[in-house]
Amino acid sequence: MGLPKYTTDIVRAGLEKRYKREAHFRRLGVAAIVAGLIFLSILFVSIIGNGYTAFWQTFIQLEVHLDASEIDPEGTREQNVLAAANYGGLVKQSLRDMFPEVESRRDKRKLYSTVSSGASYMLEDYVKANPEQIGNTIQFWVPADDDIDMLMKGHFDRDKPESERRIKDDQIAWVDKLVAEGRVESRFNTIFFTAGDSRDPELAGIWGAATGSFLTLIVTLLLAFPLGVATAVYLEEFAPQNKWTDLIEVNINNLAAVPSIVFGLLGLAVFINFIGMPRSAPLVGGLVLTLMTLPTIIIASRAALKSVPPSIREAALGVGASKMQMVFHHVLPLAMPGMLTGTIIGMAQALGESAPLLMIGMVAFIVDVPGGVMDPSTVLPVQIYLWADSPERAFVERTSGAIMVLLAFLITMNALAVFLRKKFERRW
Amino acid sequence: MTFQIDSGIDLAGQEVGAVNSADTVAKSDKVNRDDRKTVGEINHPDPRMTCRDVNVWYGDKHAIIDVNLDIGKNEVIAMIGPSGCGKSTFLRCLNRMNDTIDGCRVTGEMMMDGNNIYGKGMDVVLLRAQVGMVFQKPNPFPKSIFENVAYGPRIHGLAANKTDIEEIVVTSLQRAGLWDEVKDYLEEPGTGLSGGQQQRLCIARAIAVNPEVVLMDEPCSALDPIATAKIEELIDELREHYTIAIVTHSMQQAARVSQRTAYFHLGDLIEVGSTDQVFTNPKHQLTEDYITGRFG
Repeated sequence: MGLPKYTTDIVRAGLEKRYKREAHFRRLGVAAIVAGLIFLSILFVSIIGNGYTAFWQTFIQLEVHLDASEIDPEGTREQNVLAAANYGGLVKQSLRDMFPEVESRRDKRKLYSTVSSGASYMLEDYVKANPEQIGNTIQFWVPADDDIDMLMKGHFDRDKPESERRIKDDQIAWVDKLVAEGRVESRFNTIFFTAGDSRDPELAGIWGAATGSFLTLIVTLLLAFPLGVATAVYLEEFAPQNKWTDLIEVNINNLAAVPSIVFGLLGLAVFINFIGMPRSAPLVGGLVLTLMTLPTIIIASRAALKSVPPSIREAALGVGASKMQMVFHHVLPLAMPGMLTGTIIGMAQALGESAPLLMIGMVAFIVDVPGGVMDPSTVLPVQIYLWADSPERAFVERTSGAIMVLLAFLITMNALAVFLRKKFERRW
Repeated sequence: MTFQIDSGIDLAGQEVGAVNSADTVAKSDKVNRDDRKTVGEINHPDPRMTCRDVNVWYGDKHAIIDVNLDIGKNEVIAMIGPSGCGKSTFLRCLNRMNDTIDGCRVTGEMMMDGNNIYGKGMDVVLLRAQVGMVFQKPNPFPKSIFENVAYGPRIHGLAANKTDIEEIVVTSLQRAGLWDEVKDYLEEPGTGLSGGQQQRLCIARAIAVNPEVVLMDEPCSALDPIATAKIEELIDELREHYTIAIVTHSMQQAARVSQRTAYFHLGDLIEVGSTDQVFTNPKHQLTEDYITGRFG
């Protein structure tokens, strides 16, 4: 038994095995990435496939006679007189005129339900804006009822027995007649982007929830960013290294791992029950999300401060800067990109959070768009949860539509984080 | 333990640490603790700073042991010695840069203008405005060349208006020998300069505050020979206006730029004297061993 003569012989003998292992490891890595991409694309395909139709809505054109004796018998044209008129009656009248063959009360009710219950309000708004049209007959587009919308979008099987369908044969016949007359059109669904929540899917929108999310995030940002940065700066630059600061550090790290619903419970107990703040308010939501995002921001900010080279601090101290001048003139500007990135990631987390907000009542059904941080409101993820819970078929696509909007916000925020980091990153 | 620990050690724990380090010294160098008393003239006829019985601890480690030394006006004093001998530590005590290090403790007296710089009434910011510092690695701020130099005068309020600031910047850059190279690029980042230029920028930044003493901690160790030569020339010129204390690993450099030399060895100040005398006729065995290259 002899040793190989040269080191290269030993190395060469093992080379093939090494390369094999390396190739194997690479294949594993590629497989992991491919699997991830597949799941991501399944997610996107299913959400977009389900949701893109939510951005369109079926509208029906009605021929409405704006009867002056109905709307404004005395011809004053005053807004409060116009507001008191029976527009629902006008819409119904117009439908009856279009389908004179419908006679029984039950059939009439079915006929009325082909257009959205919001049609009368839209007509009212139109008349108030255009009082000169009173007395004329106008062509007025109103949103179709959500069932008709689903029918037009092909989500109903016409071949099922009538008793198993929500839409009956005569309704289908009316819609077909309207289609033949060119009175049915699919339009961009502005209601979805401008309205608050509603029990009627065709009138439900995400604007209320988006405003709520915005107000909540503003409160969170205004509280969490300064608090988080100040905490990080103090702990990193000023605090003495002793067991108290160690304890604080450990606890901050632990807080980052606390389930978010616990913060919701805390908010309910402290802000609502003890302090007496209103339920469902973005202010309370923002406070709760502040507690939740603070550890993230503090940890990211401390990491950013740590990454500033000590030579910069020495340079500043060396020319006689005070500690605060050193921090504010030199360390903070260099750490800012990292802090901003951490903050935006924390904000993105807060934007997608629903569990703690359920605890403080932001899960209520709220129709009005909130006007301030004290108004009751909901947020996008909770709105998605509410819609996903609704029985109407039309809410399925709206749920996915709202998810798309939320994802768009999240992607925008993350892109902003990347952009800021690239823009402010400095070399030294 | 056969040797005596010097006075000035007040805590039992530190005493043990000191004994241990001294123990290893004795083994490795075969020089008794008693033989490490400072030789040479520590006094200077016209002192700028006077250090008496200075002791420095890093936690339990006794880094500087009973050092007495004067730093004269308008002289360049070089501090040499093997790595870890405490020369940088001593230098950083002179403008209290060691304050930023956790667990660093300094006792003794360091007088400047009749005030103990470690005394209660001493303001660190004021001290550092009087005692500037240049570091081992060039560390310009990631700002423009102009801002680098203007920063010190600005925070201290040395200039009333923009013209004053500009004048200070120009004078400082001229004194640092950098003006001709950067006068057209004042708005460019200081970090974009070459290593030697960056170090001269740092010197300009230090002298822009018009300090009385400039401390230099191995200012040329990261530079090539040409940049080093420029800095050495500069140090000689700066002596006219400032007192300079320089720590260096290069004995040639110490010989070239300094008038006095202090040799440190494992926390002790072994020998002080005029540079000529220390390099040509060292009085202490350790100094001789070091400058003849027997260790270090």
